[in-house]
Amino acid sequence: MKIIVAIKQVPERDAQMRIDTSGTWIDEADLQWAMNEPDAYALEQALQLREAHGGEVIVLSAGSERVQTTLREALAKGADRAIHIDAHDLAQRDSLNAAQLLAAAIKPEQPDLVLTGLQSDDMGYGQTGVLIASLLGMPHASLILQVEKTEAGLHVKRELEEGWLQHLDLPVPALLTIQSGGSKLRYATLMGIKRAKTKELRIVPADDLGVPANQSVQLEGLATPQKNTAVQLLTGSAPEAAAALIGKLKFEARVL
Amino acid sequence: MVHLFTTLAEPLPFPLAERLLFIALALASASLFLWRLLPILKTICRAKRDSDFKLFPLHRRVADFIFEVALQSRVIRQRPLPGLAHAFVFWSFCAFALVTLNHCAVGLGAGFILPNSWLGRAYSYFAAAFALACAVSIAGLFIRRFFVRPRWLGEHVSVESGFIALLIFVLMVTYLADFLVAEGTAAAHGLWWLHTLALLVFLPLLPRTKHLHLVLSPVTVFLSRGEFSKIPPLAGDEDFGLVAGVDLTRIAALQAYSCVECGRCTEHCPATNTSKALNPKEVILGLRAYLNDAGTGSSEPLLGKHNSQEAIFECTTCGACEFQCPVGVEHLPLIIGMRRGAVNTGTWEDERGAKLFLALERGSNALGLPAAERDKFIQKQNLPVFDGTQEYCLWLGCMGAYDPAGRAVVADFARVMNYLGTSYGVLRKEKCTGDPVRRLGNDLVFQQLAESNLELLAQSKVKKIVTICPHCVRTIQEDWKEFGAPPPIEHHSEFLARHMSELPTTHSGEKIVFHDPCYLGRYRNVYDEPRSIVDRAGIRVEAERSRERSFCCGAGGGHAFLGEESGDRISDTRAEQLTATGASTVAVACPFCHTMLRDALTGQGGNAPALVDIAQLAARSLPNSTQSSSS
Amino acid sequence: MSGIWVVIEAQQGRIRRISWEALAAGNALADQLGLPLHAILLGADTSSLAGEVVAKAVSTVVRLEHPLLAPYTADGFVAALEEHFRAVQPDFVIFPHTYQVRDYGPALAARFGRAFIGDVTAIAPGPIFTRQLMQGRLNGSYRPLSSAPCFLSVQSGAFRPDTLGAGSAATELRTPSLEVTQIRTRPSEPFRASAQGVDLSAAQVIVSVGRGIRDADNLTLIHDLAAVLGAEVAASRPICDNGWLPIERQVGSSGQTVAPKLYIAVGISGAIQHLVGMKGSQCIVAINKDPDAPIFEVAHYGIVGDLFEVVPALIEALKTASA
Repeated sequence: MKIIVAIKQVPERDAQMRIDTSGTWIDEADLQWAMNEPDAYALEQALQLREAHGGEVIVLSAGSERVQTTLREALAKGADRAIHIDAHDLAQRDSLNAAQLLAAAIKPEQPDLVLTGLQSDDMGYGQTGVLIASLLGMPHASLILQVEKTEAGLHVKRELEEGWLQHLDLPVPALLTIQSGGSKLRYATLMGIKRAKTKELRIVPADDLGVPANQSVQLEGLATPQKNTAVQLLTGSAPEAAAALIGKLKFEARVL
Repeated sequence: MVHLFTTLAEPLPFPLAERLLFIALALASASLFLWRLLPILKTICRAKRDSDFKLFPLHRRVADFIFEVALQSRVIRQRPLPGLAHAFVFWSFCAFALVTLNHCAVGLGAGFILPNSWLGRAYSYFAAAFALACAVSIAGLFIRRFFVRPRWLGEHVSVESGFIALLIFVLMVTYLADFLVAEGTAAAHGLWWLHTLALLVFLPLLPRTKHLHLVLSPVTVFLSRGEFSKIPPLAGDEDFGLVAGVDLTRIAALQAYSCVECGRCTEHCPATNTSKALNPKEVILGLRAYLNDAGTGSSEPLLGKHNSQEAIFECTTCGACEFQCPVGVEHLPLIIGMRRGAVNTGTWEDERGAKLFLALERGSNALGLPAAERDKFIQKQNLPVFDGTQEYCLWLGCMGAYDPAGRAVVADFARVMNYLGTSYGVLRKEKCTGDPVRRLGNDLVFQQLAESNLELLAQSKVKKIVTICPHCVRTIQEDWKEFGAPPPIEHHSEFLARHMSELPTTHSGEKIVFHDPCYLGRYRNVYDEPRSIVDRAGIRVEAERSRERSFCCGAGGGHAFLGEESGDRISDTRAEQLTATGASTVAVACPFCHTMLRDALTGQGGNAPALVDIAQLAARSLPNSTQSSSS
Repeated sequence: MSGIWVVIEAQQGRIRRISWEALAAGNALADQLGLPLHAILLGADTSSLAGEVVAKAVSTVVRLEHPLLAPYTADGFVAALEEHFRAVQPDFVIFPHTYQVRDYGPALAARFGRAFIGDVTAIAPGPIFTRQLMQGRLNGSYRPLSSAPCFLSVQSGAFRPDTLGAGSAATELRTPSLEVTQIRTRPSEPFRASAQGVDLSAAQVIVSVGRGIRDADNLTLIHDLAAVLGAEVAASRPICDNGWLPIERQVGSSGQTVAPKLYIAVGISGAIQHLVGMKGSQCIVAINKDPDAPIFEVAHYGIVGDLFEVVPALIEALKTASA
């Protein structure tokens, strides 16, 4: 199976976010970058499929030069080769336009399967996978926990709300967006990193893909949300406090 | 009535035929000995060189040789009675050097120690004294091994070790018996041949038994790595640790063949003592069996037939094994080396282990918690931030920054430093020192953490570090050396001991038992400083296993972050040992010991002793001190 | 330009609460822009559901019905809605932000060459849509640049359905043209994970106990409270370490991560290792006798008191309330 995994490099989860002077983006000065966690699960799923059925796993990411670190990390975990879409204008692209860029790079590869993480830890749109599938004319399924290859295509397990699950069958080529936690992530090894040095990392300038930057929706500004309201302490005797609590839970929080 | 002669009886000179027989037998024995020894020497020499081996400074090696080999210091000190017995056997062998040479010379008609000369007589009495001591010792050791059967010598009692004990006994007794027979008699002749045969049978048996240590162990002690748990750096792009036979170095092979199977390592291993699969002696013997089986050119994994991955990962790296070994076997670099081989190549699959590695790949601490929590703690505790001007950098460590018990210790230590007027600051962007991943063998993550932290220290212009965690001390001071120049670092017990006189005393009269942390005691030789703090706070009692024999709390080797253990819990076992002293308080000096023992002591129920860190003991004496909650 | 359209989602024969919230959001936007508000239902047979929607203050309720629209598939919904929206030319289309919408909404918007604005938490004049970034650490303001249509979804709990008035809408029944070959995925019946052990992640209400309970025997109090609430019982690490509750019930960094509707922490101090396992709960109640316990920093409601008095009182009050 030829599997392409689209990966995003995002600011490290731990990072302190400060809004920059223009008010439209975060100050990237002290940021550390890491692979988007759901994409790590997508990569893991791809590697497991290759281990079971043979084939090739190609990782792909768009961004400036720093995304190559994340691509190398993916190669170290076992991907066969990497494609870096060298783009410096991602801030001027909306979710659809960014997906068009990625789809343009994926199309010539003609993969059997495209995997993406469910959503990114930074923007959190959760759209890239669904959009790429639509642009490439592939069937798709989202929130996938498990993937099995069958005669006819794929048999996958999908997460629904409130603890429900569902199986789906779809033909290949197809796209799946992978939910975190469906499999156990493998750790990066020294051997992996050393081997990664010899694997192919091809750079494709964004201009070569014929998808100019464009947006139908613009992120105008960023703001820090107001602090969560402090805890409401319910006082009085035990029966009084208990009654007050039940009232709050029923009518204010509406969880009872 | 037995007649004791004043001189040693020698037989009449032998006829030629007998001399030729002797020569033939001697040659046969020597050839057989060499034929069995040379393959072993070849295996050892064929192994790859140790890239970090330095012969100099020589004085350390010579000192070790004198103390460990010649004076048998560790042999005696750690197991006094059997150790002394062994020492006598060893010294007799040394004393008998000339005797044996002379004995063979006599067989060829060229004896050079004249039994009647005053020198000859003196020497023979000297040798006889040792022979007596040796005979008694070897008999005692035989009884111990075959009848008393201490369990760390193993279940299987080897017939050959009994046979060899018998031969040694025969050698000594035949020598002594020579004082009971007259010169030139048939009895003297018979004794001579008995002694000779014992010698000639003994020699070829050496290479294939544990008695090979007679030949190897002096060399092993001399050529040891020298520092406690000295983990060699990886050599080049294809070195991932001890994966297969090709990775075993000469020192590793030499040590594998030197094991005397005494079981001292096993006796003190916390894993073996809690019914786990790990047995340090078997690890070394497993390597020896591997070498005999596959050799040093083999690519068959070391963790397979002769050593199991499960056992190797049960090690808490407490070092009790390496500390005890009398022949210079260094277990820790071998165990950690095999772990490296598994982890660096991705063949170790462990859910919690992977979680630990992933947490440190992406984040800054081993607990997988957001770094913002560190900042919250620093702010809430009003800890000064290091700005390059203060004297000390107070290194928080993962436990000190995130764990409730660790935080309480840091808070109390900070109060002491404030009282003393010490200038210190904490770093906001500390990352885990990498201790757990270093001991588990993940060199990729360890290198990343070490380099990142060293850069931070250099940029922040840190001159001196003090910390509450012995694991941080060890890792920063020793393990980071491979990647840069760490600033000097000390443990808070060393700091407190030095400043003790400036602190007020509050002696509570309660009984306090101090639990020696592995990484402070065996790893760093710090035993008295924390005790001096305990002495000022209460009446110190000692656990049966204390100081260099302290029993691990179970957290080391990355185990604080791994899943449930098999067998009994090491922490529960240690807690029982500490409670058995009757102390009402247990004092610790390591946040990992603190967390492990807190849960273990809570499990003991209402009457369990209280648990405090020595920093909390010191802080108790400060004015305006409220009893900080220790658990 | 036909106004604001809200897509109503149903699950297992019932309209989901979040659909009403989406309708409320649509109502607010419609008021802001002075545009009509419409609702649309999809399925094989929406007759039983339409009545509820018709009773709200909307202009039209469109029932898009076709056998191929049940069960839900992305292909079916995208094709049906594309056809409809090309016909009616909406200004704005509002969806509830559900797993289902995430699966087809962006693809639908892409058919119109638009980026989908998902998980909106507020609508300001403009309109400017607010959504969360960086896992809730920042809010971003989004402005649609192109002409209509604009597609967006609203976050659960962000808009209150009681702002929606009653009304009497006109209904229209439409049949989209769908071919079976258009539907490329074959979904099976939804199912619950097998009940091996405890799946705290599926529990809606959790009562969690910590060291404050002091003894294993006192756990009956917790089990009673859980029974009255229909809740699962969970615990912080020390309780499981002592063997008082099985390890599957441990919540925290070394146990399970849960985000139920209601999480009641009884006698739990709130050490960070526990907090990371339950911080995402919708409503957190803390009962602890220490007013400085860190649990109160994340709790929405708290009672500072002796749990041995508060919990029985709570059980009593709950029994009375449901009687």
